[in-house]
Amino acid sequence: MASVIRCRTLDGQPLEFVDDVIGSGAMKEVYFAPDRSYVVAFYRSPQDTAARERLGMITGKYRESIFEQTGGDYWRNLFCWPTAMLEHEGRLGLVAPAYPRHFFFEHGSRNGDVLKIRGREKEGKWFAAANLRNRFMDPRELGDWLGHLRACLLLARAVRRLHMAGLAHSDLSYKNVLIDPSRGLSCVIDVDGLVVPGKYPPDVVGTPDFIAPEVVMTSHLPKDDPARHLPRRETDLHALAVLIYMYLLYRHPLRGGKVHDLDDEQRDETLSMGERALFVEHPHDPRNRIRLADVKPTELPWADTEARPYRLTGPYLARLFEQAFIDGLHDPARRPSANDWETALVKTVDLVQPCRNPDCEQQWYVFDNTTRPACPFCGTPFHGKLPILNLYSSRKEGQFRPDDHRLMVWTGQSLFHWHANNLIAPNEKLTEDQKRRIGYFVLHEGRWWLVNEGLPDLLDVSTRTAVPIGGRLELRDGQQILLAKGEGGRLVVVQMVEA
Amino acid sequence: MSVRRLPVYILLDTSGSMRGEPIHSVNVGLQAMLSALRQDPYALESVHLSIITFDVEAREYLPLTPLDQVQLGEIQVPSSGATFLGAALELLIRHVDRDVRKSTDEAKGDWRPLLFVMTDGSPSDLHNYRQAIPEIHRRHFGSIVACAAGPKAKDEALRELTDRVVRLDTLDAAAFSGFFKWVSASVAVGSSSAGLEGPVTLPPPPAEVQLVL
Repeated sequence: MASVIRCRTLDGQPLEFVDDVIGSGAMKEVYFAPDRSYVVAFYRSPQDTAARERLGMITGKYRESIFEQTGGDYWRNLFCWPTAMLEHEGRLGLVAPAYPRHFFFEHGSRNGDVLKIRGREKEGKWFAAANLRNRFMDPRELGDWLGHLRACLLLARAVRRLHMAGLAHSDLSYKNVLIDPSRGLSCVIDVDGLVVPGKYPPDVVGTPDFIAPEVVMTSHLPKDDPARHLPRRETDLHALAVLIYMYLLYRHPLRGGKVHDLDDEQRDETLSMGERALFVEHPHDPRNRIRLADVKPTELPWADTEARPYRLTGPYLARLFEQAFIDGLHDPARRPSANDWETALVKTVDLVQPCRNPDCEQQWYVFDNTTRPACPFCGTPFHGKLPILNLYSSRKEGQFRPDDHRLMVWTGQSLFHWHANNLIAPNEKLTEDQKRRIGYFVLHEGRWWLVNEGLPDLLDVSTRTAVPIGGRLELRDGQQILLAKGEGGRLVVVQMVEA
Repeated sequence: MSVRRLPVYILLDTSGSMRGEPIHSVNVGLQAMLSALRQDPYALESVHLSIITFDVEAREYLPLTPLDQVQLGEIQVPSSGATFLGAALELLIRHVDRDVRKSTDEAKGDWRPLLFVMTDGSPSDLHNYRQAIPEIHRRHFGSIVACAAGPKAKDEALRELTDRVVRLDTLDAAAFSGFFKWVSASVAVGSSSAGLEGPVTLPPPPAEVQLVL
């Protein structure tokens, strides 16, 4: 048995850890607390004054500004944030919460966990590569496509929060983001390398696959060269876009068939991730398309950008992918913000529809705005009546304008406060009361009903009929339904697709 | 997609002095290395492994094989015999020329191969060994690490091959497992955060291995 070491954090809190390294990375060695509720990580090499000061700010002021405000608890699930510093036997260390249980594999790989990864961290790469998903991952770990959307949503929200605080992560990658697609969760880890513009410069360039082109292009320059690009908010935005693309489409947006250097594969790599980076699905420049002749059978159908185009992620995300990988790839200022991603993901979650095929691996898909919807993953068409609620909101009494936001109706679909009022956003600011469901939809004997559970103003505008709480309202094509009065109150226009 | 392959060549000394506990430890270490590599999703996507053994002759013990398809039996050691490391390098050159894919206009080639050499002695065919070295260098390996294992291993000859020579003081299981752990960490390093001062090529060695500078 390894011995338990007792010491104190720099701010005087007592602390214990088991003297047995449980993990080691390039920078740190990690130890468990005896009850495994937290970890202690020691830097391998001595840290300079700036690094110590930065860690002091991360465990102190920056942490307090995020976690010790109203609603601060919300972020505890989205970040694994260091809570204290310590010094032991001349080594500088930090204390951080242990990762929650669901970020360790429960089932691991297929065939009784042939790879023996059960109990190990859910590193994002396992979920981001089609070949690994198809060949190795236990399907119970993979969850469904909605779970992936939700995990991306939490990731975008976490990055948005960092950026709001004026911080940049500097090394977002699937190693530094744990995801649990089976529950739709994600968590940003390794926060101790945070970059504060003008104050604390980055100490890494990032992780291959996620380094922004301008950083790759200038990585040969000395780090104080004015032309050198280093990680900052805009490079986080490149990494975020790549992560979201990979978690939804299981391929890399820039790794296509174009060869830039025949003799030196390292230079080829630098060019294809840097100066000549080109979106594999660029609509007008096909040079970097993924060549199907190169791919493993187990990478299909995801490697086939014709069969699985980025547009299947729906109108909101597709626009952002274009902005990130076409307009903003070499123009950092044009990359979508984390807030843009968060908003688009929220709207996309409202636009998904369950697939009718119980064997469909993705289970959910984004409505493609056609009159004959079908699952883009397995091809199963939708049959029956499909109500789509187009959301309008009121800026002036009695005047409603479109919100570019639609809610798909399926059995069990819920209405929440953020659907009834556009001033309410489904994020960390929701009060407990606002998290409550206020209505749901049900298909009964071939007719679609909205059941009112918490909408005091609910009104069928077409017939001027008020629907009291506890009452229900049948959905019909072209119908207008008022969900809430007052500023931001929503009006719904129903479209009924018959397929 | 077109994931580049990362060819990894391991050259293992199976000369007579490796009989008994040393080769047993190597076998255990190899198995542990395989498991560790398979738990790394990056390695699982890219690594192709080949093992060449050498004693009185050099043999291809494992042809270049995708990591997930590698099946290793026990490596055996003949009762006695010399250490033909030169012959092993010659065989390696032929196999690298045959197996490692170059880029074409149509398809991305392999990453530069990695080479790990482990010996507990010094080359018996020193002339061939020295002649092979410039040829090896012309093959542009991504990195070459040589491991001098046990008290009789000579660093000097290995340092002609590479400036990365590590020493194992003993030939026991702990030493070899430390070495193979390091091999797997080196192989996986391509997926880790890169420092500002250019790529970090090797992680710090484990406690059991000393770097000879």
